[in-house]
Amino acid sequence: MVTPLSTRVERDRDNGEANPLGGVTSKYPGPRVRISRDRNLAWWRRILPVMASHRVTFLLAIGLSFLSLVFQTLVPNMLNGAIDHALVHHSTALHADVVRILIVGLLAGVSGIVSRQYVFLTAYNVEADLRSLVYEHLTWLSFGFYDRVQSGQLISRANSDIRSVQMYSTFAPLILVQCCIGVLAFGFMLKINPLLACIAMTIMPILYFVSIRMRRLMFPISWITQARLADVATIVDENVNGVRVVKSFAQEQAEVNRLADAAERVAWAYVKDAQIRGKWSPWVQNLPQLGLALVLFFGGWMVIDGHLGIGAILAFNAYLLMLQAPFMMLGQLVMMGQRARASAERIFEILDETPEIVERPGAYDLANVRGSIDFDHVRFSYSDDADILHDFDAHIEAGESVAIVGRTGSGKSTVARLVTRFYDVDDGAIRIDGHDVRDVTLPSLRDHVGVVLDEPFLFSISIHDNIAYGRPDATFEEVEAAARAANAHEFIERLPEGYETVVGERGYTLSGGQRQRLAIARTLLINPPILILDDATSAVDVHVEAGIYEALHRLLAQRTTIVIAHRISTIALASRVLLLDEGRVVASGTHEQLLASTPLYSEVLAQSTKPNED
Amino acid sequence: MAWGGGWSGGGAMFGSSQVAGLPFGGIPSELMDEATKLLSHEPDHPPSDLTFTQLPSERERQRLTLPRLIGAYPKWVVSGSALVIVISLILQAGPLLTGFAIDHGMTPGHRSLRVVAACALGYLVLALASALLQRVQVDVTGVLASRVMHDLRIRVFTHFQRLSLDFFTDEKAGVLMSRMTSDIENLQQLIQDGVSQFAAQGLTMIVITVILFSLNATLAAWTVLLVVPLLFVISVWFHRASEKGYLLSRDRIANVLADLSESLYGIRVVTANNRQRRNIRNHRHVVGAYRDANLYTGRVNAIYGPATIMIGILGQGLLLGIGGDMVLKGRLSIGSLVIFFLYLNRFFGPIQLLVQQYNALQQGRSSIIRLRELLEVPPTVDEVDGASELATIEGRITFEDVSFGYDAEHLVLRHINLEIAPGESVAFVGPTGAGKSTMAKLANRFYDPTSGRVLLDGVDIRSVTLRSLRSQLGVVPQEAFLFAGSIRTNLSFGRPHITGAEIEEAIDVVGLRDLVERLPQGIDTVVHERGQTLSAGERQLLALARAFLARPRVLILDEATSSLDLQSETTIERALDRLLEGRSAILIAHRLTTAQRADRIVVIDRGGVVEMGTPGELRAAGGAYAAMFDAWLASGGRDSTRPDDADDH
Repeated sequence: MVTPLSTRVERDRDNGEANPLGGVTSKYPGPRVRISRDRNLAWWRRILPVMASHRVTFLLAIGLSFLSLVFQTLVPNMLNGAIDHALVHHSTALHADVVRILIVGLLAGVSGIVSRQYVFLTAYNVEADLRSLVYEHLTWLSFGFYDRVQSGQLISRANSDIRSVQMYSTFAPLILVQCCIGVLAFGFMLKINPLLACIAMTIMPILYFVSIRMRRLMFPISWITQARLADVATIVDENVNGVRVVKSFAQEQAEVNRLADAAERVAWAYVKDAQIRGKWSPWVQNLPQLGLALVLFFGGWMVIDGHLGIGAILAFNAYLLMLQAPFMMLGQLVMMGQRARASAERIFEILDETPEIVERPGAYDLANVRGSIDFDHVRFSYSDDADILHDFDAHIEAGESVAIVGRTGSGKSTVARLVTRFYDVDDGAIRIDGHDVRDVTLPSLRDHVGVVLDEPFLFSISIHDNIAYGRPDATFEEVEAAARAANAHEFIERLPEGYETVVGERGYTLSGGQRQRLAIARTLLINPPILILDDATSAVDVHVEAGIYEALHRLLAQRTTIVIAHRISTIALASRVLLLDEGRVVASGTHEQLLASTPLYSEVLAQSTKPNED
Repeated sequence: MAWGGGWSGGGAMFGSSQVAGLPFGGIPSELMDEATKLLSHEPDHPPSDLTFTQLPSERERQRLTLPRLIGAYPKWVVSGSALVIVISLILQAGPLLTGFAIDHGMTPGHRSLRVVAACALGYLVLALASALLQRVQVDVTGVLASRVMHDLRIRVFTHFQRLSLDFFTDEKAGVLMSRMTSDIENLQQLIQDGVSQFAAQGLTMIVITVILFSLNATLAAWTVLLVVPLLFVISVWFHRASEKGYLLSRDRIANVLADLSESLYGIRVVTANNRQRRNIRNHRHVVGAYRDANLYTGRVNAIYGPATIMIGILGQGLLLGIGGDMVLKGRLSIGSLVIFFLYLNRFFGPIQLLVQQYNALQQGRSSIIRLRELLEVPPTVDEVDGASELATIEGRITFEDVSFGYDAEHLVLRHINLEIAPGESVAFVGPTGAGKSTMAKLANRFYDPTSGRVLLDGVDIRSVTLRSLRSQLGVVPQEAFLFAGSIRTNLSFGRPHITGAEIEEAIDVVGLRDLVERLPQGIDTVVHERGQTLSAGERQLLALARAFLARPRVLILDEATSSLDLQSETTIERALDRLLEGRSAILIAHRLTTAQRADRIVVIDRGGVVEMGTPGELRAAGGAYAAMFDAWLASGGRDSTRPDDADDH
């Protein structure tokens, strides 16, 4: 049951290619494999299948890089030969050497260019795969998971952690190839003169350790700097948004000082950053010079003694400069590895999460729903907390409209979330037309039960697309009809771009009541036989609310409706009221009956209503 | 509130991903140990003690330029520049020494171990010297950059504080943010590395060219011609192309994150609407577009790196051909040829860096221009020169023939004459957009009247300092804004040196005792993300308590009870008696329950006063207020939030 990706893709129903974010399209086919599910494997082995799915480009990248580097290492040796033979001893023709070097240069360039194309192709495909895998996995996780985690954290994991894993998994092999070239260059140096080669190489391990040390210290300070810059940004943000408060209380001076303190902390971090860099980077930059000085002295000595040609001095200079980069990168590789490992583990935490709400084997589609709902001795609690619903037992007839009333925390909203299987009951069962909701397929269940949640989340796409969110293929007339039923058509028409107005940060900002009406329209468009309104009109004006319910009555007479509400005006629209207390139904009847018979009912209503006179 | 984020957008959480109060919100756990160690060496920074004046000082009025900015630290600038010059010179000595050693110590007839040893020793000493000098130089430019930026941050932020309310409209919030963040950080980079690098690399090129020409002008001309133009052109191409690619991938990654964040924040809607598969397909497009942008940048990089290497090798080949020929003809020494080879590679770094730094220089320049423009925006509500301190007032508020419009064409208020006696509470009622809130905003000089005067105790409020005026007026706005920090810091916002007992009292007065007792750390509980952990009603109560604690002489409640639930509203009504005790007050309310408490009601409609009198009088008179009151009763009274009404400024 843990393979949502592979099992669900083929059951795809809709073929529209809507693109809420500005119509970007790409030929990217999506990930071909998932990471290994074996949690005991080392982190890089769990990623390996993703790398392996790009093995052709990956191997081409490595192979051609190696080739290009071989060509590059040939050049100093050729120069050495040319100087010694053609210039010092006049034993060969100069132009032949020149032509050879030019050819090798061209080959090095072309193979380098081609190899890097493959490097980047592999790298960015792996990154896209990882991003898609995480997104797709998150999409199928259950509400219980989202209750536990902070979305902001997930986003940061999905961003910087994927980046650091991708960097390591694709660039590490390349750096290793570069280091192989180190071996090759060392080989050439040994061939020219073993003793000088060893002397020249002495600085390399030092370079490696110094650069590791530097990076190890630079990483934390740069993070600290970023965190402190974020503090400054927070203060500015608060002062922009809270400008009225600051000015009202005449606290400008205090705020300037608050910012100055934060800026002082940033300044310290920047100075510290410069100090650490100042302490290490000059050594990294000048160590090769030290090597060159050694080569000059010992090499010169050997030239004087006749053991070495002058060209060798030049060749060694070139090789040392060539080796400098891989050794510094080797240090970087170690750091990257540590970060990548930590990042990978954070990503695995997400990918190893299994959806709690899954279809049973043999789940069938719910069809031809009439709309009766049975709550059969339901017990439910969120995670390990105390029971929210306890022996909740109720029957709702097909086509009936029922209001659920209760104190805050009595479990009213939970009822709505159980019918659509956002959560599963701990005990008992919920049946629609006699079918246990756990026996049917999830999409068919949610197609038949429409819920308008208490928090009307809208996407930053056009109002039309928001209403058509559950049925992207709906015609414009259908969308408009749903908007009319939800009493939203009029205000939408008044917006600058009508139904094409984009909602959200950069778009038009809607009031709470307007958002709620769009959320209702969105659910009405699905035309579900069972409709649940969870405090869905709390921010809507009473007059408008009456209009909505009037429209609902007219349009949806045959529909089973559950209304969770506080206002008497809303409750009055239901034909029956269920009074909830401590997780169970304590009374059921019409509004008038309950008013007359149950003191608790009046009490609950009094809590949320108030006499008009003051 | 442009940065509010709310439910319909997910973007706002990126900036505030770090939790207030935790020093390492965003630091990955594996770096924590090192970070803690670093921070343990941080000295305690003494708290800043700056004085804010509404009128800028002479220095603050100066035009903002880069030379003037860094000119504030002349010693650091001079020593930094001197170091850069010396280091660039020293670094270029190595190849010369090598060539000299070859010609005068290694070629047949000139063999001398002494010369070679001296050159090698010289090389070594210079390498050490440049390492030491570089260390000092990084420190110097680091300190210089951070001091300059510290000054600039405070200067820009102080200017923010001087600007009037009309500047802080929704569209500008994001702009203000980027001035204080990315623009200043651009400059930071520029001063720290950019300027010195630009100078150092330019100098390096010149030094090398001079050395080469002094060795052999013909070969020098060939070398410079063979390598420099080609390298320059390809570097410029690379920078243009990669900049384009960078902007593209930045936009596309923003799309990826926006899509991800919307999907996560809206996961319940996604699930309820069976949109998972469609969203997955859509996300693949978004991720794919990001990948495509990266591939573009990748292609550019793939060409540039190897191409420069290729230019280097081809250059060496040609140099061997031309220079070797000269050696064979006896017009050039082998040592000089080696020097040419060694310097050839040294052209590459400077050219690449120069092109890179040129971009940084451009960015820094435009940042300076943008910051300068911001600093030159004058506040619309300003103090007059020599404004006096407003003495403690009794609280008589006079509107004298006041007219006001946000723009000159459309007056919101027309010829208002109204006097509020000390200790009197007056409720402004009327339809949305009638100008009720505007009246309040004129009283504390968020805006100045277009014509007419507002007087406090008979003093024109334009003649006194803003601080002395506003500190005597307490405003509770409709949107209760809380700062990130504990409830205690929020409550003591208006009077930082408040005692614990006073805070406790205020909590009891506004009826927050239950909330405080429920919270884990009581009044020291940190309020996150603009008070999202608290309900709207609780935030309103906190805002009331905050105003109460500031001990204002005049209290202005601007729709302050609109988002309270009934229970909180009841509490507040009781608290209002305490809050209004001995104070003048302006109450602006949709809920007529609040208005009923006032000594006097002023009905405002279409920019003018329609009716005025005690609640009882007005209800008896059967005019506009009586009609409003009846309508309010008929609507059930309970509902007085008016979600569909836009806030009237």
